[in-house]
Amino acid sequence: MRRAIVTTEAAVLGWMARLSDDVPVHFPRVGPNGGWRFQPVASEDRLSFAGYRPTILPPGKLFAPVDEVLFNFVHLADGSFRASPVYETHPRVLAGVRPCDVRAIGLMDQVNREGTPDPHYLARRGATTLVAYRCAEPCSESCFCGAVGSLDSDEGADLFLTPLPAEDGEAPRVLVEARSDAGETLMEHLDGDPAHDPAALVARYRAARPEPFGRKLPGDPAGLPDALARAERSHVWRDHTERCLSCGTCNLVCPTCYCFDTHDEVDLADPDVGRRCRDWDSCMLNDFAVVADGHDFRRDVAARQAHRVKRKFKYLNDKFEAEAPFCVGCGRCGTQCTVGIDIFDIASDVLREHGGAA
Amino acid sequence: MSVMSASSEDVFVPRPARIIEATAFTGRERFYRLALDRPLGHRPGQFVMLSVLGIGEAPISISCGPREDNILEMVIREIGSLTQVVAKRVVGDVLGIRGPFGSGFDLNDFRGRDVLFVCGGLGLAPLRSLIQPVLAEREQYGKITIISGCRTPDAELYRDDLRAWSEIEGVEVIRLVDSTAHQPWDGRVGLVTAPIADLDIDPERLTAALCGPPVMYKFVVMALAARGVPADQIFVDLERRMRCGLGKCGHCQINDAYCCVEGPVFRLSDLERLPEAL
Repeated sequence: MRRAIVTTEAAVLGWMARLSDDVPVHFPRVGPNGGWRFQPVASEDRLSFAGYRPTILPPGKLFAPVDEVLFNFVHLADGSFRASPVYETHPRVLAGVRPCDVRAIGLMDQVNREGTPDPHYLARRGATTLVAYRCAEPCSESCFCGAVGSLDSDEGADLFLTPLPAEDGEAPRVLVEARSDAGETLMEHLDGDPAHDPAALVARYRAARPEPFGRKLPGDPAGLPDALARAERSHVWRDHTERCLSCGTCNLVCPTCYCFDTHDEVDLADPDVGRRCRDWDSCMLNDFAVVADGHDFRRDVAARQAHRVKRKFKYLNDKFEAEAPFCVGCGRCGTQCTVGIDIFDIASDVLREHGGAA
Repeated sequence: MSVMSASSEDVFVPRPARIIEATAFTGRERFYRLALDRPLGHRPGQFVMLSVLGIGEAPISISCGPREDNILEMVIREIGSLTQVVAKRVVGDVLGIRGPFGSGFDLNDFRGRDVLFVCGGLGLAPLRSLIQPVLAEREQYGKITIISGCRTPDAELYRDDLRAWSEIEGVEVIRLVDSTAHQPWDGRVGLVTAPIADLDIDPERLTAALCGPPVMYKFVVMALAARGVPADQIFVDLERRMRCGLGKCGHCQINDAYCCVEGPVFRLSDLERLPEAL
């Protein structure tokens, strides 16, 4: 059995901060102008699990950063070129990741591993140790991880932390479970009492958390793929795009959106030297499916919305044979949407209007 | 940041391809023959990602049949930021190539059948990658008909090829323009759908391959359906925006299908589950 210990929350937080002396540690914190974000910590920082709100960007973006360099190139004197791919393999710790985001990272691992593997994502991911932390309560009024089955997701985590219900007068305690060799190694210098029956402790945590946990869909989400197939000509899409600005924010903050575009950059000082970069892209932007002669294969905003929602609840889970949807219920897209369009409301309407017997 | 050696193959890194021929076909389309470092090893109907490093990358159809040498042929229309730069490149210049990508055509779907090619405009370029291998083993097929249409006489591609193909026994080539635009023209005037109504078609024996502008497919499919050609004997080569060729970037997605991996060639009957296709 992998190592499992119980220790105080303060000890875990202090240990995580001190890890940053050896390796960059990213942890969710409030930014200087508000808004939660995963950011590097320093060993003297006082970290906290309390008051967590969903970060503006999901932690998995660490493996597919904005403006990522895919390769550098040099034009040679004979007219040819030399291109050198760039792989980031610096060890890092990504800590305080909530289960919904753990699930999203697990799905992105699958996306980048299957078919033609993406060596750039996999290099960053392989060099990162993931420390997950279970939620004791919904992290926002928008969250619906419980409804889409990501509340207990742990696949891909190297260490899994479970907050234990506090006993009277006792300092808050945490169950720390290693889930991989990397996790075992990382927790080498974290002391605590051995947990002989971690499952019983997890059961205590589960019994103490609210039920339902976060928002609840008006039907079984397992019925969404079929309901979506029946919603091809539904008014739902128009209803939920009347205010849409096609700004693409929902895609940018989504932990399972991975569509991209590329662009080249050239050194101004030496135009023979440059790089090809990858950018995040958004299927809600109105030029996403435009081809060279100007034809737009998804011109209507309602069609783009339908496409986005089907990717999350049907297309990608079908393609990757995932048991649960690609929407992990983090609530980011609905919270960040400029005009308050929420994928939870869309999924709810699809279930209400098109759910039921096939 | 560690940089691995350039010798390692990365799916995003193009291979150098030197231009050994660049011929103007029309005012905005040029024919290119490129020499790669090794044979491309492609199937008919596949495509490559073409790069000018420092400018960008775009999907371009392969226009020659499968070959054993390291030569690649393509037709490039000067239409976007990349192709405008490519248009200024000359023999000896080096471009970047990734691929080949996509499903392509399978000759076994056509062998033993009458074959109809319907090409609209630039659609002749990818279909030539199928026409060439079909004509190279002419005896394996029944009657072959090539319908090729373009806007005006000066927009016609592969004029010499079309003429040469028309001289092969059992091959009928029907060339059309939408309008003669007061230019000399020795073909017909009309849309590519027009000749289908009068063709001598045995719907039991015919397999068709289509490629053209997005608007073309629906009407050609209707014309073929009217002649009794079943949907499982019609292959369409579809155009989409593509950024990776790897089924990842999302731009080419048609419902749940990634056109760059599952397409760009589809059997028409398989498109019933993809309402976004045509």
